[in-house]
Amino acid sequence: MSPPAPRARRGAPDWLVIARREFLERVRTAWFIAVTLLGPIAMVGLIVVPAVLAATSGADDVRVQIVDHTDRLGEPIATGLQLQGWKAEVVPRDTTEAVLLGRIRDEAIDGFLTIPASVLDEDPARRGDVTYQGDNATSQMVVMRLAGTVNAAVLTSRFVGIVPDERLPAMIAPVGFEPRHTTGETSGTSGTAVFLIGYAVMIVLYMAIVLYAVNVLRSVVQEKTNRVVEIMVAAAKPRALMLGKILGVGAVGLVQVGVWAAMGVLSMTYRAELLGVFGVEAGAWSVPPIGLDVVAVVLAYFLLGYFFYAALYAAIGAMVSSEQEAQQAQTPVILLLIVPMMCMQLITNDPRGTAAEVLTLIPFSAPILMPMRYVLDGATATSVAISLVLLALSTWLAAWLAARIYRVGILMYGKRPSLRELGRWIRYG
Amino acid sequence: MTAGGPAAGPASTGDFAVRVAGVTKRYGNHVAVDGVSFEVPTGVIYGVLGPNGAGKSTTLRMINDIIAPDAGEIRLLGGLRPGREAAAHVGFLPEERGLYPKMRVSEMIAFMGELRGLPARDARTRTGAWLERLGLGQWARNKVQDLSKGMQQKVQFAATMIHEPELVILDEPWSGLDPINADVLRDVVREQKAAGRTILFSTHLMEQAEQICDHICIIARGKKVLDGRLADVKRAAADEGRVALGFVDAAARARAEADGGPLADRALVAARHAGRGGLDAATDVEVELAAGADGGRLLAALVAAGAGLRRFEIVTPTLHQIFVDKVGVENASVAARADGAPEGGRP
Repeated sequence: MSPPAPRARRGAPDWLVIARREFLERVRTAWFIAVTLLGPIAMVGLIVVPAVLAATSGADDVRVQIVDHTDRLGEPIATGLQLQGWKAEVVPRDTTEAVLLGRIRDEAIDGFLTIPASVLDEDPARRGDVTYQGDNATSQMVVMRLAGTVNAAVLTSRFVGIVPDERLPAMIAPVGFEPRHTTGETSGTSGTAVFLIGYAVMIVLYMAIVLYAVNVLRSVVQEKTNRVVEIMVAAAKPRALMLGKILGVGAVGLVQVGVWAAMGVLSMTYRAELLGVFGVEAGAWSVPPIGLDVVAVVLAYFLLGYFFYAALYAAIGAMVSSEQEAQQAQTPVILLLIVPMMCMQLITNDPRGTAAEVLTLIPFSAPILMPMRYVLDGATATSVAISLVLLALSTWLAAWLAARIYRVGILMYGKRPSLRELGRWIRYG
Repeated sequence: MTAGGPAAGPASTGDFAVRVAGVTKRYGNHVAVDGVSFEVPTGVIYGVLGPNGAGKSTTLRMINDIIAPDAGEIRLLGGLRPGREAAAHVGFLPEERGLYPKMRVSEMIAFMGELRGLPARDARTRTGAWLERLGLGQWARNKVQDLSKGMQQKVQFAATMIHEPELVILDEPWSGLDPINADVLRDVVREQKAAGRTILFSTHLMEQAEQICDHICIIARGKKVLDGRLADVKRAAADEGRVALGFVDAAARARAEADGGPLADRALVAARHAGRGGLDAATDVEVELAAGADGGRLLAALVAAGAGLRRFEIVTPTLHQIFVDKVGVENASVAARADGAPEGGRP
């Protein structure tokens, strides 16, 4: 009698069944919903809170005293500071430093200015510095206002008698200064904003890859400790197991990052309104438009980068038999992820330089650094294409190796394989 | 054959359910399975028996393509290769039980069904039926981790059977079950057989095997010791000629065993074994008939000698006795000591 034909599969393919299970198990947890929704709130917080803090705290209601050895600058500075809402007064010049420090200790004042007589010396080489000592000397706003007021007073005193009084304020008014980022194609957008977006893209990709690829590792190890792996391997090929796991966890990541990205873009677009709620002005920089090409590049590198690292992590998961062991075994891969982060400055300082070119070609660092470089307009379409091809090839290789290690390693409990055994697994699998 | 709906039962799959031919598996220097061959006919309950570490689990793993044999060939259901080809036709309960602890009970079972190729809707309907059959209906929406060990084991049975495989393979299915659930499982296995399916299981519990098996295969130290229909194995053992004798008192026994007595006749009795199977050591004895002798001649001789017989019985040995005889006392006692410990054999 002839053997029966293999029964045609009527349901979904095994890798899809596995991927769906992995996806649903994660998406249904309260933890996932909390992180997905609270993540953007944290992101909004990161934009709003520093702005609110910088704008409101520290720079108002400051109490300073002025020790003036020139007899000319003390009063104009005090007046200038009072106009900004500060409490400023000139104290007798024989007030000792010890007494003033005591007042800071007693919180009678926040700090004091000492203006040496030499400040007005005509020879720049012999000019002394105005010093400020105070408990708020670390605040950028306080220092900026003090320096501005003191400089205005010094300039005014220099011009007295040379320039007519009514023209003085106009003469000493500073000019505005605005950095704009450009590589020559467009007239440029706010340099700060471009940097921030590039930086955000890198952080999000790094976090997403680490979070979800490590998730794959933990999932593999947990299946071993639960012993579920045995019925799974009997029912599906290890390759389908690995593929399903990576796809399922990856889909979770895609959903989460998608939600975050959407909320991030929204919060950047309505930044002024958001900040307005807190009574803060948005500042002068404009948000550069995020083109579809940027979205495509970020997505491509997220997917390939995730697959690349997830395959590496899956292989590690197949090699170890406990979470503790996994912690140790994943160190080399973590290093591969952290080193590109350290090299971030090489990209931001010179997005079109050789270092940036090389770093964005290496498959280990390309997923994290190339999207940032692209946002900074440092990468041509050609270099993106070459880098993507290299990354895709490495991903395929990593998946191939991982599948072989997975096939043999997934049923191993107990001791970790040596490098030689690993080689045998790869040949055998 | 046709794919067959769930109600159609297993399709006809040729003349054997499992054929294992000269299969060997080595781990380093250790030979876990050494040239084992046996054939499981379609539609029977087949027990692979052996002490712990004999190679039972390794054999079942190879049949399920979890590991590959180093030599030999395995074919399932009339000719399918283990693994992908056969996956939809086979259900496997591994020795290492494991479920996803955070999944709901019903979803876990349906998931396993889908993994074996069942469409999602069929998987859901059948899951409900299985949960009712195993008395787990009220737990369907609980998470697996909320269930007791015994209940989890039943969930695992359901997950093994959900796709209604023609061939059900169970590795030590009774370990960890209380007597009531052991009975439930035995009933389920018999139902599966009645539905035309083949059940292949391993165990070291001879009592369970004796109650349920049609065929057995005894494995020890990686080698097959014997196989065949349980009834044939038992008849063969009975034909080996053991007779249990009971005398009215110790003196009558001593007369029969004395020189010139019927039990001392080498043409009739090859050996005497005292006190086996709960016999009274003073008055009872079990004897092994000599080659060419039979029970009738021994009885005639005893009656002729006026031996004062109370009992005369041709012994049909229990499976346990056959097992001990065939596997050897040292192996069987290893089995007894290692009872309940997981089977070794992997590096």
